[in-house]
Amino acid sequence: MSGTTAAAVRRVPRWLSLPPLVAIAVLLVYPTVFVVAASFTRTTLARPLQEWTGFANLTSALQTEAFAGSLVRTVVFAVSAAVIATVLGTAVALLLRARGGGFGVLGTLLLLPLVTPPVMVGVAWKLLLAPAGGALTSTISSLVGSPANPLGSSTTALGTLVLIHVWQWTPLVVLLVFAALLGVPDELLEAAALDGAGALRTFTAVTWPVVAPTVLSVLFLELVVGLKVFDLVAVVTSGGPGLSTVVASFEVFRTGLRGDYDVGTAAAMTLVLGLIVGVVTAGVSALRARAARAEA
Amino acid sequence: MSLHRRPSPSSSELASAAALSRRQLLRAGVLLGGAAAAVPSLAGCGSGGGGQALAAATGDPSGALQGATLKLMVNQPHVVAFRDLLAPEFAKQFAGTLEVTAIPYDQLTSKQILDVQGGAGEFDVFDYFYFGLGALVDAGALVDLTDYIGGDPSIEADDFLPSIYDVYTKIDDKRYGLPFDGDTHVLYYNVSLLEQYGQQPPTTWDEYDAVARAITEAGDGRVYGAAVLGQQVPMILGCSFVNRLAGYGGTLVDEQGNPTLTTDAAKAALQHLLDVQPYALPTPLQVGFDESNSAFLQGTAAMIDTWTDLGLRANDPANSKIVDGWGVVPLPVGGPNTTPRTALEAGFGLGVSTASQQQEAAAAFVAWATDSTRNLLLASYGGSGIDPNRTSVLDSPEYAAASAPATEVIATGLRGDPLPWPTDVQSPKRMQDLVDQLALALSGSQDVETSLSKAQEAWERSA
Repeated sequence: MSGTTAAAVRRVPRWLSLPPLVAIAVLLVYPTVFVVAASFTRTTLARPLQEWTGFANLTSALQTEAFAGSLVRTVVFAVSAAVIATVLGTAVALLLRARGGGFGVLGTLLLLPLVTPPVMVGVAWKLLLAPAGGALTSTISSLVGSPANPLGSSTTALGTLVLIHVWQWTPLVVLLVFAALLGVPDELLEAAALDGAGALRTFTAVTWPVVAPTVLSVLFLELVVGLKVFDLVAVVTSGGPGLSTVVASFEVFRTGLRGDYDVGTAAAMTLVLGLIVGVVTAGVSALRARAARAEA
Repeated sequence: MSLHRRPSPSSSELASAAALSRRQLLRAGVLLGGAAAAVPSLAGCGSGGGGQALAAATGDPSGALQGATLKLMVNQPHVVAFRDLLAPEFAKQFAGTLEVTAIPYDQLTSKQILDVQGGAGEFDVFDYFYFGLGALVDAGALVDLTDYIGGDPSIEADDFLPSIYDVYTKIDDKRYGLPFDGDTHVLYYNVSLLEQYGQQPPTTWDEYDAVARAITEAGDGRVYGAAVLGQQVPMILGCSFVNRLAGYGGTLVDEQGNPTLTTDAAKAALQHLLDVQPYALPTPLQVGFDESNSAFLQGTAAMIDTWTDLGLRANDPANSKIVDGWGVVPLPVGGPNTTPRTALEAGFGLGVSTASQQQEAAAAFVAWATDSTRNLLLASYGGSGIDPNRTSVLDSPEYAAASAPATEVIATGLRGDPLPWPTDVQSPKRMQDLVDQLALALSGSQDVETSLSKAQEAWERSA
């Protein structure tokens, strides 16, 4: 640090850091302390932090029929949705870039699902997939010749939610990967063409090394969005049929705010979910870091 | 692999490291101290149990309402009753204002608890679910109105329907509100659809199955024999199960409050929900209020077991294609039971929030809004979502005219011995546990016996 810069830094009063510190304390530290404290105490919606219960809430959470399954469903949902959205979004971005020019009107139209409020997305798909009179279910039924109700079956409901989620979040991948593709040097592409490289070879040898960190970052982002999914489940299936679409965040909501009012167990569930989110995202984050190092 | 030996730290580096370590320790100490300080303060956010009590009013209780502005948290389907009917009356009579906030039914109890315990204290009056009464009282969210009600003969407490008065308002010999919406279920049917397919209104659940099957099979996807409400929340699937449970002669708990979910009646009730699924508007687990009411009012579902106020909407040409084309019968019976019995499905009371700064005015409003004049106005208005809470209203020619031809069936159900839901502090959790297990059976994930055994265990654990 140069003397001038150091002097400039010294001139900035330290109290100016107070507002962000207060904001962090209010928005991050306080809720975190509360969740940790609630998870180790008997805490209901009406009476927080009544008495120390050790790991009783954690045990209770893991013994809950819905929660154990919801953790598996959450990971399955997030991983499958993130992978499908990333692959699909990357492919669309490559096609948009291949036709030349900018993002264009077509690209903007593709972004519409992304800017639609999640609740509206849920309501729209719920109507489209209504078992009686739903536009999409009626079409599918007439095509297959028997009544179709993908949200009404335990075996297809979660997969249907994955597809709706992919529909909404793929445009984000398109947007970010398309931006990364603009950074692929034209001279490299021309050199590859002069060397007689085909489309696949050009992609793997020239394009991919440049966009890989972005694609993996987007995968990471999609994974986080998928692990946190709540609104789609709440609006479209409310966790049903049975418990087949109850994901962890929805189960935390049910336990803490609907019926049980057992905030202690809900807090313990939140910690377990946080742990799983950490483990899953750490893997993708490591991949992304490796790709970034390779590009450098 | 190359090994690089790290040079020994200099004394200044060691001093720096020690200083850093001290700083880190200091920071950690401050953080832990903050956390330790925060926990008791968090605990101080709420201390439930034991609400306040309001003494009997001195003088004319309605005097407290003159020019008053009251904030009400109400069940979303009741918003017409409060905003369009009561608020104008209130303004006219007392020059006061009602500020109405509507909350979705599945969040009502938790929002009311949070309003008090979270410290917001924004509302004066709560429109509460009766089966959440124990949870609200445990949370200290409702004012004890025992003395207030007892000290005001103008409330005419004897006029409240005996079948709902105590169960809607009383916990441990203390009264926390007054009945507002006396909710029971009846079975509505579409007269022309039943005639078209040669069917009679059912009196047993077996007959109901036969009617549903005949119409659905002949309807070829255009009409369905029954709309069965099965969304996985107590207010919907819970009601459908309890209707059948009452019909088969069962109960949710015995006289000592012990769960009775594995009885033959309970098994028959759940089995009936399973059996009728193929012949109901698809698919019961996805069918809620909107889907079922719409199907019945548009003439695509022939039968529906639901709240008594649907008849008022069915006669409104703006909402209905079956004006004067519907009939009503008591809920069917089944098994060894031959006596029709309805159930108290998610009724409502009005209570005073302990966080209210004007509890006397709030209590006076509760008394005013639940009196016979207001109840007659609301129960006779299609779309208000309010049913009778008083004997005098049930007996009045005005209500009989408005609710015809359902009047007699509604009156018989409310005057009889309708099956109540539990109202203890664990009731919301218990009903959700039950509904989860019912949904697992309906989705084919487990059989009837397993579902009910698990529900029974869950209820016993939470006792």
